[in-house]
Amino acid sequence: MTREINCLGLACPAPVLQVKEMLEKERPAAVTVVVDNEAARENVSRFLVHQGFQVTVARAGGEFRVTGTGGDEACEIMTDSELVAVAGGGGKKILVMVGTDKMGHGDDGLGTALLINFLKTLKEMGPELWRLVFVNSGVKLCVQRAEAVEILQELAAAGVSILVCGTCLNHFRLLDKKQVGETTNMLDIVTSMQVADSVINI
Amino acid sequence: MTGDSTRLTRTVRGAGCAAKLAPGDLDRALCGLDLPVDDNLLVGLERADDAGVYKISDELALVQTLDFFPPMVDDPHAFGRIAAANSLSDIYAMGGMPKTAMNIVAFPAKIMDISVLRQIIEGALSTLRGAGVVLVGGHTVDDSELKFGLSVTGFIHPRRILFKRKLRAGDRLLLTKPLGTGIVCTAIKAGLAGAEITARVTGNMAALNRVAAEIMADYPVSACTDITGFGFLGHLAEMVVDSGAGVRINPAALPLYPEALEWAAMGLIPAGAYNNRNFRGEFVRFAPGVDPAVQDLLFDPQTSGGLLIAVAADEAERLRSALLAAGVETAAMVGEVVTEPRERIVVE
Repeated sequence: MTREINCLGLACPAPVLQVKEMLEKERPAAVTVVVDNEAARENVSRFLVHQGFQVTVARAGGEFRVTGTGGDEACEIMTDSELVAVAGGGGKKILVMVGTDKMGHGDDGLGTALLINFLKTLKEMGPELWRLVFVNSGVKLCVQRAEAVEILQELAAAGVSILVCGTCLNHFRLLDKKQVGETTNMLDIVTSMQVADSVINI
Repeated sequence: MTGDSTRLTRTVRGAGCAAKLAPGDLDRALCGLDLPVDDNLLVGLERADDAGVYKISDELALVQTLDFFPPMVDDPHAFGRIAAANSLSDIYAMGGMPKTAMNIVAFPAKIMDISVLRQIIEGALSTLRGAGVVLVGGHTVDDSELKFGLSVTGFIHPRRILFKRKLRAGDRLLLTKPLGTGIVCTAIKAGLAGAEITARVTGNMAALNRVAAEIMADYPVSACTDITGFGFLGHLAEMVVDSGAGVRINPAALPLYPEALEWAAMGLIPAGAYNNRNFRGEFVRFAPGVDPAVQDLLFDPQTSGGLLIAVAADEAERLRSALLAAGVETAAMVGEVVTEPRERIVVE
């Protein structure tokens, strides 16, 4: 059975949201969406394709009938919370600020070794470890020949976000030596702190 | 924030620069008009640039611009900051220094508490203060939808104006903010954007292009514009038309909001992006294999986007480092100016 949705007079993103809301409740084999502007026609077509429908469009005067078929073979639609998760909105987030290339005070050799060990062990935090931010002499851990680079590349490959302060790299003349992470600025750092559920300072 | 009455984006049809009149329509309204003539008008409507320039003396010219739009975020203070940064941006893109500003306000007093307007203006003032610009007045009308913006006047040296169309073959192109704000704001309006992406895009839209403009003044920059409602390729097309040069863009180097790619694929694209593509699509050739979602982002109308700077190739890397060191969001080397294809844009 074909479900029909009337979206006449609606501007984007309203038509897409109406279709999305309907598909979250039921899964018809076919759906026809009636819209009256080009942008809504394209956006609704894309949304239906994205949801696994085959799409055809018929034009009548100033109206478009966008029809999606084969929806019963398609996979499950993503809910709002899943979409937010795609956008990085889910789970607890731990942010680790690394503002030094040594851990603690007393013996610098010991401090260097401790920090490497700390970074190696960080992965034990599991998926809650969200982001590492390197500032001041911490950026020296992210550049050529630094022992930590390999450890950090592994974390990055596992999905941990790594940000490296651009002002600090420039200060130590290391901008072109960076081997891991994204160069960042203070706005991103402040935003990260705001968004994180907990911030750990080293 | 509670309820839809305080969700500003739910009260309007369009969002930010995505609400701009389609560029083709604007051209039809303006073409062939009998414009007043004045020898001191250095940049006017007929050679549309980012802002108008009027010469006062051999050393000094006025640079003027106006921008206003419906809200693209829900927080009134943030909307004010973004509107101010967006309005000042045209002056920076010309190489000028903004000095004074006036509010332009359409306010739905029947459905919105007047404290919302106060927060918007407070937001705008905080950004103006950061830019060293004074607010000298404004005009407010009662309307069915909220709109806010500023008319800005600045100073510029008549011989140091940065035109859009002075592209020089061999120059590199640098872009100072990521692309995709129109799509992200559509997702905010739809209630799909999480806190992190909302905070990131808001911060970027509210960031002044002042630092980037001040730094580029010390480098051999041939042309500059700011990326707003016509999208990256729409504004780039304006640079290319009548310049005699062409542009090659490297899609892998483009700074994009990754979330915007996902939302583009599912059809959360503002109508303005389609208008921009219809108007400027003929100037652009995409190599096969360029992700359609990336193509959408390149036409996506930007609110308070970054500067697009054309700089001599041998100084490009130094400028890039200087911009990043000064804390500019991004300084991506997105392409180069070429001789062929003439007055066309190739994305490959």
